Amino acid sequence: MLNSIRPKNRVIFAYLLIPVVLYIFAVFIPLVTAGFYSFFEWKGGPNKKFIGFDNYVTLIKDSVFWESFGHNIYLVVACIIGQIGLAFIIVLMINSRLVKFKAIHRTFGFFPSTISAVYIGFIWVMVYDYKRGILNWFLELIGKNEATKVWLNEPSLVMLLIAIPLIWQFIGYYMVIIISAISSVDQEIFEVAELDGANAFQRAIYIIIPLIKNTLLVCITLCVAGNMKAFDHIYVMTAGGPGNDSMVMALYGYTVSFAQQNMGYGSAISIGIFVSSLVVIGGVQLIVGALTREKEGVRK
Amino acid sequence: MKNEKTPSGNSLSESIKIKLLAVFMNVVLLIFSLSCIFPLVWMFYSSLKLKRVFNADIIGLPKSPTISNYITILTNKDYHIFASLFNSLRTTISSVVLIILFGFIVGYILSRVNFKGNRILYVMFLMGMLIPIHSLLVPIYVVFKQAGINDKWYTLIIPYVAFGLPIAIFLVEGFVKAIPVALEEAAAIDGSSFTRTLFSIIFPICKPILTTVGIIQTFGCWNEFSFALVLIKDPRLQTVPLAMTQFTGQFSSDYPKIMAAMLITMSPVVIFYFGFSKQIIKGMVAGAVKG
Repeated sequence: MLNSIRPKNRVIFAYLLIPVVLYIFAVFIPLVTAGFYSFFEWKGGPNKKFIGFDNYVTLIKDSVFWESFGHNIYLVVACIIGQIGLAFIIVLMINSRLVKFKAIHRTFGFFPSTISAVYIGFIWVMVYDYKRGILNWFLELIGKNEATKVWLNEPSLVMLLIAIPLIWQFIGYYMVIIISAISSVDQEIFEVAELDGANAFQRAIYIIIPLIKNTLLVCITLCVAGNMKAFDHIYVMTAGGPGNDSMVMALYGYTVSFAQQNMGYGSAISIGIFVSSLVVIGGVQLIVGALTREKEGVRK
Repeated sequence: MKNEKTPSGNSLSESIKIKLLAVFMNVVLLIFSLSCIFPLVWMFYSSLKLKRVFNADIIGLPKSPTISNYITILTNKDYHIFASLFNSLRTTISSVVLIILFGFIVGYILSRVNFKGNRILYVMFLMGMLIPIHSLLVPIYVVFKQAGINDKWYTLIIPYVAFGLPIAIFLVEGFVKAIPVALEEAAAIDGSSFTRTLFSIIFPICKPILTTVGIIQTFGCWNEFSFALVLIKDPRLQTVPLAMTQFTGQFSSDYPKIMAAMLITMSPVVIFYFGFSKQIIKGMVAGAVKG
């Protein structure tokens, strides 16, 4: 802290004013506004009717909202396993001295995560397309014509088909995070373990995972926060369909508010999204925080 | 892991095993890497086909490549391709500059200057990293509509800066903590004002962390879609991802045209990425892990 040479209060005030006002305006005012309108029946026009907690009662009984919440959780779990799990396995391979072109794998692998989710969605729509899709082209190539489908119209498959692009897009991102975590560990540890006769699997489970546990926990936190806000891919690929089989929370709030013009209920859904996401993200962060601290305690 | 395998276990079957393993791992990784870059390549050569050629053979290379798709897209003003590129550039550059500037100032002040409310502001910005911003999608539309500031050229800059600030502030705050206070004290003794110290002494020192912030936010703002979707209705103000959803709606059956439009609007980030991939990867990872 600067004590002897502290600037005057009005200087500090002048510097902080714009960013703080901007931040409050774009983050807190909308939250308060949503809280306010969630008590009204409001179709976006000039007429509003105060209806107390009715919107919240509807929300709690709204099976589509809870289904959407379930889909968000599905994506979280699928992406933790798919993104972080696969990224970890890929890193184990890349770190092997038997592998060539390491720099290229990094550059290419990371590339999809720098592209807008909208584009990733379109690319995968083209992959899944019935007449001109790569997936059906491939099935026909290997002679399984009967397996071709209008993929994104299959209620039982649609969430999996949506999870695949999400997983694929960010494997490289987690891969690079894990590579940098491993390379910051003293490499002698791995050499000693190898000389002691630990095989690759044992080294991964007993040495690498404990050493980069904190990084893996950070990855899980990122994964949870990222998938609770899933919107862009799904908007482009299915818009929540067929029916509501791929609906997620943010998209449901959007659909109710704009397609159905139900701004009052849309506000209540927004508060519902806020609370449920906060519980999930906050809960995971608390668990992660506890695990991280526990580890540091052991080390000391 | 530079040391070679101990020779004692180096029987013939052992070395075959290792070779097979090497082949297996290299093939798996190559498939992974190629899958990441294949869409770009596929879109490129397919965009050189005409619609009916593509529909007849979706995977083959074009026999008679043509740039007619590009010409149609770029010459028709109704598609707003250049306008959307310009809008995205303007929004991204303005937002990133403001995030760096405000993030630097606020991060520095919160880290160094003792004043009433310092901790309150700190916690307020900390909360910004926890708040699920997608819950603001509908309410922010309501607020902007009532304030009459939706559908303006500067509309998107406001949420982008606000949402980018928390992470920027925390990266800067952590970075400034490691700078010795003696530096500012020496500058003050030499008669440097607070403002001058801030911008001509501290700012250059913070360059590495500000670069990280800039990289993360450049991609974040360029790729952002959901807030642009609710806040911008005027086709002339659409950013690139938004314009693409319109475009694909119009040409849903003409894949080569869609691919050409996607490649044109992707090109700035693709060039940026492949030009500076090392720094970009480093910056993104540093930001993710520290944040």
